[in-house]
Amino acid sequence: MQEHTQLTQKEINRDLLSGVLGMPKWWLGLVTLLTLVFLAGVGAFGWMLNQGVGVTGLNRPAMWGFFMVNFVFWIGISHAGIMISAILRLSQAEWRRPVTRAAEVLTVFSLTAALMAAPLVHVGRPWRAVLWVFPYDFARGIWPNIRSPFIWDPSAVGTYLIASTLFVFVALLPDMAILRDRTQGLVSKTYGIMCLGWRGTPRQWKLQAVAGILLSALVLPVFVSVHSIVSWDFATQIGVEGWHSTIFAPYFIIGAIHSGVSAVVMVMALMVWLWKWDLYLTKDHFDAIGRLLIVVATTWFFFFFLEWVFALYTLEKPEIVLRELQVFQWPYIFLFIVFLMTAFFIPVPLWLFKNVRRSVKWMFWTTVLVNIGMWLERFLIISPSLLRKTPMTFNWGTYHPSIVEILMVAATFAWVGLGMLLFAKVFPLIPLFDIKEAMVVKDEIKIGRRTVPATIRE
Amino acid sequence: MTSEAAAHNGHEELATPRGVIHDLLQIHLETGDGFWRAVTVFAILSVLGIVGFLLRLSDGFSDKAVWGYHAALFAFILTTAQAAPIVAIALRLTKAHWRRPISRAAELWTVVGLVGILLFIPMLWVLPGLEDGRRSLWFFDPGEVPRFSPHIWATLALIFLVIVGIVLLWVSALPDLATVRDNSSGWRQRLAKRMAWGWVGTSQQWNMLHHRIGALGALYFMMMVFVHFLISVDFVMALVPGWIDALFPATHAANALQAGTATVLLTMFCLRQFGGYKEYIGLDQFWSLGKLMFALSLLWFWFWFSSFIVLWYGRKPAEQAALELMMVGPYLWVFMTAFILNFVVPLFTMMWNPLRKSIWGPTLIATSVLIGTFFDRIRLYVAAYSVPGIGEQNVDKHELHLDAIPKANLPDMVDIFLIVGTISGAILIYILASRVFPIVNIWEQRELLLYRVHKRFHRAEVVVLGKPE
Repeated sequence: MQEHTQLTQKEINRDLLSGVLGMPKWWLGLVTLLTLVFLAGVGAFGWMLNQGVGVTGLNRPAMWGFFMVNFVFWIGISHAGIMISAILRLSQAEWRRPVTRAAEVLTVFSLTAALMAAPLVHVGRPWRAVLWVFPYDFARGIWPNIRSPFIWDPSAVGTYLIASTLFVFVALLPDMAILRDRTQGLVSKTYGIMCLGWRGTPRQWKLQAVAGILLSALVLPVFVSVHSIVSWDFATQIGVEGWHSTIFAPYFIIGAIHSGVSAVVMVMALMVWLWKWDLYLTKDHFDAIGRLLIVVATTWFFFFFLEWVFALYTLEKPEIVLRELQVFQWPYIFLFIVFLMTAFFIPVPLWLFKNVRRSVKWMFWTTVLVNIGMWLERFLIISPSLLRKTPMTFNWGTYHPSIVEILMVAATFAWVGLGMLLFAKVFPLIPLFDIKEAMVVKDEIKIGRRTVPATIRE
Repeated sequence: MTSEAAAHNGHEELATPRGVIHDLLQIHLETGDGFWRAVTVFAILSVLGIVGFLLRLSDGFSDKAVWGYHAALFAFILTTAQAAPIVAIALRLTKAHWRRPISRAAELWTVVGLVGILLFIPMLWVLPGLEDGRRSLWFFDPGEVPRFSPHIWATLALIFLVIVGIVLLWVSALPDLATVRDNSSGWRQRLAKRMAWGWVGTSQQWNMLHHRIGALGALYFMMMVFVHFLISVDFVMALVPGWIDALFPATHAANALQAGTATVLLTMFCLRQFGGYKEYIGLDQFWSLGKLMFALSLLWFWFWFSSFIVLWYGRKPAEQAALELMMVGPYLWVFMTAFILNFVVPLFTMMWNPLRKSIWGPTLIATSVLIGTFFDRIRLYVAAYSVPGIGEQNVDKHELHLDAIPKANLPDMVDIFLIVGTISGAILIYILASRVFPIVNIWEQRELLLYRVHKRFHRAEVVVLGKPE
């Protein structure tokens, strides 16, 4: 059964600005908790800077651990915003409207979390990162190697961050103008400056719509390039078993969409529970995104299958040994089972049931499972591959993350949550203008004795 | 232009279910001279294919290099005609209303799968058993799995794909066959009566129809991907020692989505220009499908580049040799043609909305994509089939690599006969089938009348589209 609720502009303003103009009871407590977790991570980072990377579990031959896993994971989550916003906007899917902004904001904060995880923390001496990215010694002609991931990763992630921020900003203009008109003093002035003199003239609306469509189209190749480049950090290496596979770019992208869209469902559920926006994020929205997730998850599973088939197809001994390590040896056997069950075999069969797709609670918990699984997937790609004995290295060890790494990983999760909550205190998490437009184009038609929801098209 | 739009342009009768049935049946039941002329031309050209096929058979199966173009042709049919139904399946799944006038035309291409099976039969003899020492999807050393595993599984999968496709076409056509049964006479009525399978349009029958179309569509899609997986690995990749490309099966299937869309676009153009369906197949369909093809052309590049960069950057001798064989060596010009026609031309033309939003633009680009796809299949299949047998190299399986790059294999007269004849035969079967199944879906077109209404909105007139549950 499709839902059809008609809301007035006044009701929309009241409901969706409640988080900005008012202070929900839970807000302060939650922000404090997340700030504490984040600060614990910052403390751990400070400790690592003081003592050196020896306080982490990283050691030869596994020099990539939780930090890199976390980097790939957050880059993956960041794909949600563009997936939902750009693709659904271009395909004119009506159900995108209440979801887009939260997804885009999730993109921005998860990208900053990714930047924290890799360039800031993983390199050990973050102040030197800038020297790897930018040309630094004009006098002696020493230039960074432009073929290095140190150039390509920051370039791709930086471009994506700028594009997504612009994407969020352009869509925020009409809503900031509403806030300008409903606040006073310095706050009102600040919103006034930020909304660039928005008055809602036909020309402004037209420009804003065109900018939205153009940004959607332009940001899509950036979104594809970012995770492709991250995947090639691994795939172009022939010395590490399990990484040199042509499938990595599409496999990483589809995995990113799987975990990213799942993260959007989690955010949607939290928006329903925390801000009581169930009139805006209805069961229809969960149903629609649930169907999308079935397609995405099945495609992801196909790529996962191909990756495995071709690992075995090589018939190369070191590759087979790696796969045996991933699947049969403790603790990887446990992680592998948990990964497969949570990323695919538990959620996808459940999503086939309409009642599950239309239940906020079920959707939330199944998507939490997906993200547990997808984090483990990245761990299983990165870590076991490095625990090998190669002809010219004589280290053969395993990797145990230290409390320092665990705290810093937890801090990135807290950072994203904190960022979303702070953003929601300053800007509405659901675009008001989009919802109002939805109310205008929403219609109904009679077919026999039934009334069917309809949409006005040009 | 859809039927309501046609009504607004003075064709009021097309705004009623009765009018739509009457109009579409009239076009379907009338077989003009143009149709018979086309049948004659394609039938004559098909004979060339049969002659070419017999001549090729007389060459025997011992030298697989001479079968390269035959294999490429089989892959071309698999990539175009057998992928075209996916357009109908995907758009029905996403409930896009604009698909309605083109869904049957897309599904009808499933009958051409029979040509694919015919082409596949000799390939079973051309492809050696696993004892030649090549890699295979069926893994491990010879003796552990039946030597003809690739042959058996690919055959079963291909036959199943064709059966599922034809059943899908038939099931989705049941209401229209009943309409033909009730409004025609002679052989058509007798055939339609038999094929309509007692359809009277009860609620239960409609519910079953919708469920079956959904299930068969999903099954067809999965089978298509599976067939591409088997064929692309065991019938191409395994023939080139040292070529290991995990993305290749997905690339093969993604290319099929692009070429299938191009096939439907070209079919739409023919139906509009020569079939009398101008009132049904309009700008909406060309614009929307053009956008899809543009996106799939970008995907073509991304999939190709994802494989290329990893193989090129890795610098492994075996991978460099595979790249040289199919990309920069003897087949460079074939690859460049495919690259330009499949990616460069669509990119630099379809990025302009005025071109996308036209009848001729997407049609011309679809033609470019189809030719490009054919060249792409040539550079993969002809190159792979020209590699000497792996068994002759006598090396350890995981050290296989291409020692010497064979020269480019150019088509001979027999290959030209085969290419012209097979493509003509495929078109012939398609247009003959269009006499049995109404090529524009009548029931979906009638359903659209329920979901689409024109309303006044302030000073403008707008279309209101209902969302089916």
